[in-house]
Amino acid sequence: MSTTPVIEVENLNVRYGDFHAVKDLSFQVRRGELYALLGTNGAGKTSTLEVVEGHRPASSGTVRVFGQSPDDRGAVRPRMGIMLQESGFSPDLTVRESVRLIGRLTRRADDVGRVLDVAGLTRKAGTKVSQLSGGEKRRLDFATAIYGAPELVFLDEPTTGLDIQSRDALWASVDKLREEGSTIVLTTHYLEEAQQRADRIGLMHEGTFHREGTVVELTQTLPAVIRFALPDFAPAPPVRTTRAAGGALVVETFSLQQDLRVLLDWAHDHDVELRELQAGPTRLDDVFRAIGEN
Amino acid sequence: MLSIALSELIQIFRNRLVLVTSLVMPVAVSTYFVYQHEVFADLASLGYIAAIVMFTVGAFGLYATTVTTLASRRQNLFLKRLRSTAESDTGIISGLLLPITVISLIQVVVILIVLSAVAGSPDNVLLLAVAVLAMVAMMLGLGLATAGLTNSPEHAQVTTLPVSLGVIAVASWVGIAGTEDLATLKRLLPGGAATELVVNAWNGGVALGDSLLLLAPTLSWVVVAVALAGRMFRWEPRR
Repeated sequence: MSTTPVIEVENLNVRYGDFHAVKDLSFQVRRGELYALLGTNGAGKTSTLEVVEGHRPASSGTVRVFGQSPDDRGAVRPRMGIMLQESGFSPDLTVRESVRLIGRLTRRADDVGRVLDVAGLTRKAGTKVSQLSGGEKRRLDFATAIYGAPELVFLDEPTTGLDIQSRDALWASVDKLREEGSTIVLTTHYLEEAQQRADRIGLMHEGTFHREGTVVELTQTLPAVIRFALPDFAPAPPVRTTRAAGGALVVETFSLQQDLRVLLDWAHDHDVELRELQAGPTRLDDVFRAIGEN
Repeated sequence: MLSIALSELIQIFRNRLVLVTSLVMPVAVSTYFVYQHEVFADLASLGYIAAIVMFTVGAFGLYATTVTTLASRRQNLFLKRLRSTAESDTGIISGLLLPITVISLIQVVVILIVLSAVAGSPDNVLLLAVAVLAMVAMMLGLGLATAGLTNSPEHAQVTTLPVSLGVIAVASWVGIAGTEDLATLKRLLPGGAATELVVNAWNGGVALGDSLLLLAPTLSWVVVAVALAGRMFRWEPRR
């Protein structure tokens, strides 16, 4: 991965009348990385993405994509593929016709058959868009985004409505694009996908970044959790606990491995069963919940 | 642009509703006028028939389909999809409107050829061609402007009525009553000057310079319509 920025955003502001949707947002996306733009509902992700994609002008601030204004479609769009959040295909065209049309307009070279194969749509090539399921439309959207293997791909909720096989196939295609050097900008509500795949995450809340960094950087600010229940008349455990709803005991720790070992050793020495034992590192879900609590 | 135009042509021929309203209806109405040309020639003149035929295709074929197409493509986010590519806004609009424009032009030309074959040739073919092109430019401009006010294809059935019925009414008023009275008003109304231009081109008897002056109001409507379109046209549905 290079440190050369593909996307540079400085002091971006987006306003809709009196509503300030994006507030002084600054970030960079480096060449070759998978950058996830996440956030609570109404956080300003879509507005930010639309400006970076060139679909909407900024109220103020600077946005550069490949060093150029995203408004310069002729220069920028042949190098980027965009998977929109909503379908936007003509219902009377077939899948093959849709991919061919959008592919040609991107001014990138590719084979329609290959792209349909990658997106798992070969058998639907002659089907009208109006007859596709929601998941098939998402795959069609994905097919047009990766047509010609662009250097930069925007994936807006790419796996919404996809079954597990289709999700795996889509991520395999994304992995292949990354191996070839593509940069990916992802927004998703499936936090586990971002946690597994993102090199860096920009976590938005109320129009600006709540936090930005790698998954480790974001999650290490919150404690990991050990959760268990004890039988009646068990002695007090050797670590500090709080009582959760349902009577379970919760240990919040920044030393998960050490505290878990202490707890297990204590349970072994006292012959105590740790019922419904759960232990795991902090997840992005917890970081998200912490935003709401703040 | 041509890729978009080709896909649009495919869609026109796959959508029966569009096919009937933009192709069959105007041709059917025009066929009636040509078939009854003696009646309408007695009522007004052959130039009036040419004008009413031209505006029937222009209003119900070109203008209504322009508005419906743009509203429909915006509503299902196809316009946004096209704007996510490298194609320019001008290329997108041109590609979307090229098929219906060419179809309408062919319809008008064929119908006028049939009219001249059954009722006699126009006095000035070149002037007639200029009038047809001016009408096409005006109806496209008005279509772009109206599309900005139209939220959906269903809504287009309402928003297109004032202009569609208006230009037909003006063409009939000018074509039948002439411009001896209220000449300025008639020429300033949308379609009025273009109708007089067609009547002059077909019937003859008016100096070329006087006829060409009639292009000014028509082209002014083009400028006004395009300026309105620039202010009112939206690429995405209202949120």
